[in-house]
Order: sequence, then structure tokens, then C-alpha cells
Amino acid sequence: MENGKDLADFAIDKGASKGANYVEARLVESRDESYTSRNGVILAAGNMTSTGIAIRVLVDGGMGFCSTAKLNKKAIGNAIQEAIKLAKASKRKTPITFSEEKTVQTTWKTPVKRKFEDVSVEEKQKFMIDLDKKLNKEFRLKLPTRTLLLDLYSDHKYIVNSEKAKVESENSIITVHTFNTAKSKRESEQRMQGRGGTGGWEWIEEKNIADIIFKDNVALVKTARNAIKMDLRKVDVVVSGEVSGIMAHENVGHPSEADRILGREGAQAGESFYLDLLNNGKLGEIKMGNEVVSIIDDPTIPGNSGFYLFDDECVKARPRYLIKEGKLNELLLNREYANRYGVKSNAAARALNYKSEPIIRMANTFFAPGDFTSEELFEDIKEGIFMKSFTEWNIDDRRFQSKYVGLEVYLIKNGRLTDTMIRRPTLELTTFGILGSVDAVSNEFDAPHGMCGKGDPMQGVPVWLGGPHIRMRDIRLGGN
Amino acid sequence: MSETEEILKKTIQVAQKNGLNEIIALMTKGKTYQIRFSNSAIDNSKIWHTELLEIFLAKGQKTTLIDVESPTLEKISMVIPQTGKFLDKMPNSFLYGGMETEPHAYQKIEGLYDQNIRDFSEKAPELVNTAIQSSLDAGAKKVAGVLYFGDSKKELMTSHGIDSSYKTSYYRLTIRSFVDGESSGQDITCGRNLTNIEKKFNQTGAAAGKIAKMAVEGKQGQAGKYDLIMSSTVAANVFGEITNGANPLKMMIGMSPLKNNLIGKKIASEQLNIVDNPHLGEGLGSRPFDVEGTSTSKTPIITNGVLTEILHNTSTSKMNQAKNTGSSIFFDFGIGSKLLAPAPSNMVYKSGDYSFEEIIADSKKPTIYITSNWYTRFTNMIEGSFSTIPRDGMFLVEDGEIKKPLRKLRLTDNLLEMFSRISAIGKDIQQIQWWEVQTPTFIPTIKVNDCNITSATQ
Repeated sequence: MENGKDLADFAIDKGASKGANYVEARLVESRDESYTSRNGVILAAGNMTSTGIAIRVLVDGGMGFCSTAKLNKKAIGNAIQEAIKLAKASKRKTPITFSEEKTVQTTWKTPVKRKFEDVSVEEKQKFMIDLDKKLNKEFRLKLPTRTLLLDLYSDHKYIVNSEKAKVESENSIITVHTFNTAKSKRESEQRMQGRGGTGGWEWIEEKNIADIIFKDNVALVKTARNAIKMDLRKVDVVVSGEVSGIMAHENVGHPSEADRILGREGAQAGESFYLDLLNNGKLGEIKMGNEVVSIIDDPTIPGNSGFYLFDDECVKARPRYLIKEGKLNELLLNREYANRYGVKSNAAARALNYKSEPIIRMANTFFAPGDFTSEELFEDIKEGIFMKSFTEWNIDDRRFQSKYVGLEVYLIKNGRLTDTMIRRPTLELTTFGILGSVDAVSNEFDAPHGMCGKGDPMQGVPVWLGGPHIRMRDIRLGGN
Repeated sequence: MSETEEILKKTIQVAQKNGLNEIIALMTKGKTYQIRFSNSAIDNSKIWHTELLEIFLAKGQKTTLIDVESPTLEKISMVIPQTGKFLDKMPNSFLYGGMETEPHAYQKIEGLYDQNIRDFSEKAPELVNTAIQSSLDAGAKKVAGVLYFGDSKKELMTSHGIDSSYKTSYYRLTIRSFVDGESSGQDITCGRNLTNIEKKFNQTGAAAGKIAKMAVEGKQGQAGKYDLIMSSTVAANVFGEITNGANPLKMMIGMSPLKNNLIGKKIASEQLNIVDNPHLGEGLGSRPFDVEGTSTSKTPIITNGVLTEILHNTSTSKMNQAKNTGSSIFFDFGIGSKLLAPAPSNMVYKSGDYSFEEIIADSKKPTIYITSNWYTRFTNMIEGSFSTIPRDGMFLVEDGEIKKPLRKLRLTDNLLEMFSRISAIGKDIQQIQWWEVQTPTFIPTIKVNDCNITSATQ
């Protein structure tokens, strides 16, 4: 690391001496250990390390990027020169400039009790094999295809820029994904589930991960066996934290990304319907939904999958109140787009690895919990559904027309949650259709893990996709 | 001996010395450039110098894969013994039945490398700006997109004496043009031959601009059953979910609508013929050999609507008592570790009988033409029940004419059922690879009858 830090510092001096208006060097040392099992047999395993430096420059209003895994002064010098040449060749009429930010020189790290490398390979495999054994013993042919993926990622980063900012960090993320198929005499149901968080190996036990996965598969098998088609039309809908989390992420988090709003992701992840809203209204005034709706993106919650305290542009992280009491309140910003809006960055810049440029990302986007218990959410519903988990989902690239297909779904009748399971009800709703129908939010919080995809080349970064239960009134099920 | 040869030999030697008995060492060296643009201006230009050594190691039936970036003899001497110790603690992989053991004579594929790539980085920014202008001239108000290009050399050495290499170059331009936030059009051009590249880029820009202009003042479409005309881009994405599933690994873990017992059975319209063809010079997935050193070969996947073969490598062909199609890659699920498994090269559709204009002219009843799509997701991958979202120009076709632009609809259907409802295949074959289509696919416009179109309820 020390040699790499010297080289990162060297890159800044070199870039400045070659005429760059801004230089940033990001050294990333990472370790990724992973295991994949299918029906209790390890299918693949690997343990890889990687070290490299990303260089980003602004020259004459253009941006250039180059990365290298060759850690010597010659390679870094070449990378700087190439990045500068690329930036100059852009010939932009409107220069790219960054917001002015407080210069920080600091360190942060994720608390870890048991480092991944200190846990034996046997113990890691045992977790997977034992979990699969338990599932197989319980379900046999009812759960015939079970794939389990365990990933243990850690990195050590050193980010420095020509404005004298310097942030060193150590992070550690553990994830468990399952992709399982349950079969009954009538149907099969599939489920991809992710759980993850920042921390060390202790996370597995402290969060009762094996128990969560087991219960999730109980529900999957039950759904395949019991769920029936019901012709429900307009009903009240309560969705769990898993479903409200994906809604907060897709319908509110993504359109809040300022680079989308101003078109930078136009050819890939798309733009944002917020562009039209902001052309005709102001932050703090645009009504998005009922007053009970507040949606926050917060990287600073300890243990969350997208946890960080300073972003990849050395800006201090804080909670972002995207929607406050029903009104559009704040966008997700990095330094380039903060400057376009004439404000400060709110530290949303993240890069997947040293080969990637930092772009605007969510961390952990959720409905702010309310005062209701889940029983209270159900109690005045005459007829409705409780969507506990979802399967298929998608949304248009302006983030307005979304679809969420229920997986584990129960009928609510006369204020009570029943055992009747409903097969694959569909919420095909606009963002306003969702936010405008929410009238109550529970005080619980569940946080499944997800990989958020954006950028080109694709940067799948870890996020939490959770939150409280929410209740939506008068929802017409099924696509038109 | 070149530096790369020395590294590859050292990799095999160190691995053998550490008790590993089957080894693949694959070095990729090259440059990749990217120019990203939006709002009709270049946002960021990037260059990646790739020097990646991918190593597959087996000890009996225990296997693992590691990447070594910018490898040196020192790094190799350190990493391989560590990985050997890691492997000692692994159980046998039931998926591993051995690798290629015989050196082959490989087919020379003409056109994999165009030497004009060498100075292309000098011209590329200007070509991008010209393509942007072509789109603006065609009616766009702002233009976004990405250009990738570069070259690389792959050098393979295995513990079974296989030692070969090939060089490639490529370009891939995606342009998405906007007249307003909801009126957009996209076009793609990709391949390896840079002859007339400025013309190709400008045509791509103009095509995207034209669709965007046609999409202006689109209105909410009505949900219902429609015949559907899918552009090459859409068909490559939707039907790619089937052909990418012609893979024993995906079938085994429930990520494919195909099953072994469908081989030899009719699963699609008789008009449909698809071959996995790794020998097309322009094909971005072309390769003379797979990562084990097996010769690649043309593999018929669908013949007159019948599922003919699926893709295999050495191990899966042994497991399934099928022909090894030379399709082994270092397979990556996106999460977790890589493994040796088959994957497609280029999916190549046989040209149909219809021009695009004839497909439109033959569409008398209400039909929807979709030019691009994204976010294809499944309720159940074995069933093939899915939905995907049209984006960019989408049009109502009626009485043999494109009548008006539509918006805000979703295709919600079943993959194999759509395969069997194909009613027309175009002649306008185009290579597609972009953000939403990873497998290079040579595919024309395809019409499918009676598709289910849905929309938001509120």
C-alpha cells in the first residue's frame, strides 16, 4: 500500500505539472473470495486480489480517465499523459467543472471483528454446505434446485486529488445470494434473494443469516404449493420492506440521480422524469406523494451494504432526503453535477473498482419509517393483499412506469391477514401511482441486499434495498 | 521467447511444481478506448491497458480460477502456491470432467483484426462529433451514446501442450438521440472492419435521429393483444434469453427455459434457424479456439424450429454424452467465482424472406413496432415468463403503414410461446451488441403474432 500511495501522490504532482486543471488518483487494493454451490456441492470457488490506480483529470474543460495495474512511476506517468490527451481531444464547448468542496484529509474504516482472511476456508464452506443440507432435509424434491453464492469482498483505498484532499479507507462487504426453484405438483416458483452488509465474518451469525435464508425458502415452497390465482381488482395493498425498498430505489432513487436528469446516462441507464418536474417547479415545492412519504438515501448507516463515510471524490457523506413529507427535496449529486446546479455535492460519487470512474450512485434508499405496526396497517382493510416478497420487476428508463410481481402474497380480509396465498399479483404502477397512494408507513425496517446496476461499463455496486412496510390504497392489480 | 510466452510457461511450471495437474493460462493484452457522450458533447474519454492473465487450475477434480493483472514472474510465483493451498481445501467439483488434452489445427478466421485500429484513437473523437451532427441533422435535439474500440491479443498455453494465439480489433457505437425527454431513437453499429467507418457512424447517428423525430408526440398506447414487430435490437435481447440458455450450466441451475428433453423437438416457428458461429470475421464473439484450446465450430442451435444442439465444453459434453462444441469460457455469474463452462460466441440467425418494408406492408391489423427495449426480467426463468420495456420509438402499424408513435407500454409474455408465434423473419440482418445485449447477435427484424402488451393501471 505504501508504494501505491507514493505513486498516487506522484500522479497528482505529475498531472499538475503537465497542465491538468484537476487531477485525482484512486489507489484500490482489493480482495475477493467467493464460493458458489449447487445443491450442496461447491461448483466454483476463488480467491483473488487486485491492485491498481485510477487517474481522472480535467483539462481544458474535458475529462480524461486512465487506469493501470502497473505500479511504477513510468506507468503512472504514461497514464497521466494519456488521460490528459483524451481530455483535450474532447473539445467540449461547455467545460466540465467541479463544485468547490471542503478539503479533507482523513481516514475511515468499517468495523470488523473477524476478517475474512482469518476465517478458515473450511468454515466458510461448512456454512454453505450445512445450510444446503438443512434445506434439502426439510424440503427434498419440493426445492430441487438450490444455488448459493457467498462473496467476501474487502478493499483498502487511498484517494488523493490536486486540491490536497486525501481519504484513506478500509471497507469489507459480505453477501449471500440464493437462487432457488421450488416445485409443487402444479407449479414452480423461483426466487433470487440477497442479504448483505458491511462487516466481517461475524455478520453471518449476528444477523442470523442461515435462519433468514431457511425461512425465506419455507415461504418459497409454501408459495409454490399454496398460491392460487384470484381475480382481485381494486384493493388496498400493504407491501413489506423488501418491496417498499425496491420501489424507493427504482422509482425515487434512480430518478434523483442528477447525471440522469441532465442526460449523462442517456444512452445507457436512461434519463429521468424529474427533468420535466424541475423544468416546471422547484425542489421543496414539487408534490410527489402524500405527506406520510419521506424517502431517504443514507450511506452512513453502519452495516449497510452501501456504507461509506467519504465518497470517491473525498466529500463527506450524509443522509440525503430525496422526498420530504411528500415533496421532492434533494437530488443525488457528485461534484460535477452539484456544480451544474450551483450547490455542494452530497457525496454520491462511487466507483466499483480502480478501473471505473466515480459516478452518482445510491447507497441505501428507503421510505422513512412511520408510526404504525404492521397489524395496524392491516386493521382497517376490508379486502387487500400483503405482498411480502417480489419476483419479476422492471421500470422504464425515465423511471416512471414500474412493475412489481408479487411472490409471497397473502389475502387481507376484514382487517386480518389470512393464510390464503395469491399467485403472482402484479403492481403495474407509475411512480406517482405508488407515492400518491401511500397513506401509512410502519415502524419496522428490513434490509435485503442488492446490486445496483448503472454506468458503462456496467458498475454493479452494493446497496441495501429495504425499509418499512407501506400501505397503498385503492390499487388496481394487474397490468392494463 | 517473448515476455508473454515466458509468463505463460512460468505459470504452467510453477503450477505443476505445486502439484496442480491441469492448467490453463490465458493472457489478454490490449487497449480498450471508450468515448462517452451526452447532450451532443463528449463527457469522458477513457483508456484501459489490459494485461490480464487468467489462470485455471485443477488438482484432480478440484478447480479454481484466478486473475492476475499486469502479471510478473514474481507475482505468479507468489499467487499460484497460495491458490494451490486454497485448492487443497476445496471439495471435488462435480462439474469438472477434465479439459481439452489434444492440440488442434485451428481455422484461420479472416477479418478478426483491422490494422487501421492502430491510429483510430486519433480520429475517433472527431468521428463521434460528426456522427452526433448527423443525428442532429436528422432531427434530434440532443445526442447521447458511447463508442468503444480497441485491440487485443490472446495467447493461450495449457498443461496439455496447447499453445496458440490470435489478435482482434473491434468497434462498437451506440447512439441514442432525443427530440425531447420522451421522444428518442437508438441505433447501433459494431464490428471489426474500419473501412468506411465515418459513413457507418454517420448512418447510425442519422438513423437514431430519424427514429427520435418519428417518436415526437407519441401518446399512451392501449394495452391488449397485438402482433409485434421487433427490431434487430429488441429481438436480440428477447430471444437471446432463449439462445443464451442453450447451455447445460444454465439449464442445471434453472436459468433457462430450455431442457435436455427438448433437444430434437420443435420449439419455434419452422422459419427459424439459428447457428452459434464463431468463425465470422466481423463477429465480436469470434474465436478460433476456446479457453481450453478446443477448436471452435459452428453449432446449429435451432434448425427449422427444432432445438438441435446446445453448447458444450469438454466437461459438460462428457456429462451429457454430447459433442464438445468448443464453447468453453471462463464463465462469470456476475456474483461469486468464475468457472469453466460453455457460452455462446456469435448467435447468427438465417435471413428470412421479407424486407422491413414488406413486414410493415403486410401488417394490416393493429401491430406494434418496437425499436429498442431494456430491463428484461423474469417471473420464472424455467417457464420463460417475462416482461421487458420498450424504449425509444414505438409505433402503431395498421393497414400496412406506420400510423403513429406510442408510449408507455410493456411486453409481458412467454419466451418459448413467442418463439412458436414468429410469423415473419426479415432480411435486414444486423450485428447487435450493446448495453442490453452481451452476446453478439446477427439478427434481422422479427414479427411475432398475438403478443401481450400491458401498461400501468394508475
